[in-house]
Amino acid sequence: MSSIVISGDTSGAVTLTVPATAGTNTVTIPASTGTVMVSSNMPAFSAYMTNGSLNQGITSGVATKIKIDTKEFDTSTAYDATTNYRFTPQVAGYYQVNGQFKAAGISITFANIYIYRNGSVFKEGTASGYTETAQSNMSVNCLMYLNGSTDYIELWGVVNAGSGVGFNYGQSCTYFGASLVRTS
Amino acid sequence: MSIIEKIKTIYPSITDADFIPSPTATIYLENALDGKGDYIAKWEHPTLPKPTQEQLDGVK
Repeated sequence: MSSIVISGDTSGAVTLTVPATAGTNTVTIPASTGTVMVSSNMPAFSAYMTNGSLNQGITSGVATKIKIDTKEFDTSTAYDATTNYRFTPQVAGYYQVNGQFKAAGISITFANIYIYRNGSVFKEGTASGYTETAQSNMSVNCLMYLNGSTDYIELWGVVNAGSGVGFNYGQSCTYFGASLVRTS
Repeated sequence: MSIIEKIKTIYPSITDADFIPSPTATIYLENALDGKGDYIAKWEHPTLPKPTQEQLDGVK
């Protein structure tokens, strides 16, 4: 037998299939209650800023949402890269979130990066007050809970500089991603 | 004219130090890319009231 089909009480079915490969393998189901995770119910995305090959200009000193508009992958179509630039996964659980931007500007005096959850700052990044004359990378990472329905996250940043203020575009320098670590 | 310059015009006593961008700052400005531009997300200045939109729009 290569497959076992378990029918649902009223509809549907789950098929357990063993690959036609030599050897013996063991799957141990723990003595615990929970949801078995498979690739299709584990949201993950990675995206970066293209912005028409232009830096995203911002007002110095104003925290601004970063226009992460180009997906590398989005396994559950949960990242909006065209309108709101936000990740709204439909699986509740704990997510690893990573973001970075490269600051643009002349005589940068301050920069910081934030993960916003539901429209408010949730985590701040690495930067604090400092003086830079060149471009600098700001990054933020955290593990956070998302409820799998209404919770959403966005990447925001701020730069204080004399002129040319903004976020640099580019796959390697301004990006955002998240992945489900485990369900709740 | 930026929103910071407008606020400083309305309240000359406010300086750049009041705008150090941090969520814990007394004045925190945002732009949500929703077409509304820069706005005051938080105003907790100890003595000065939050400028009205009319006041901001009136600064040229």
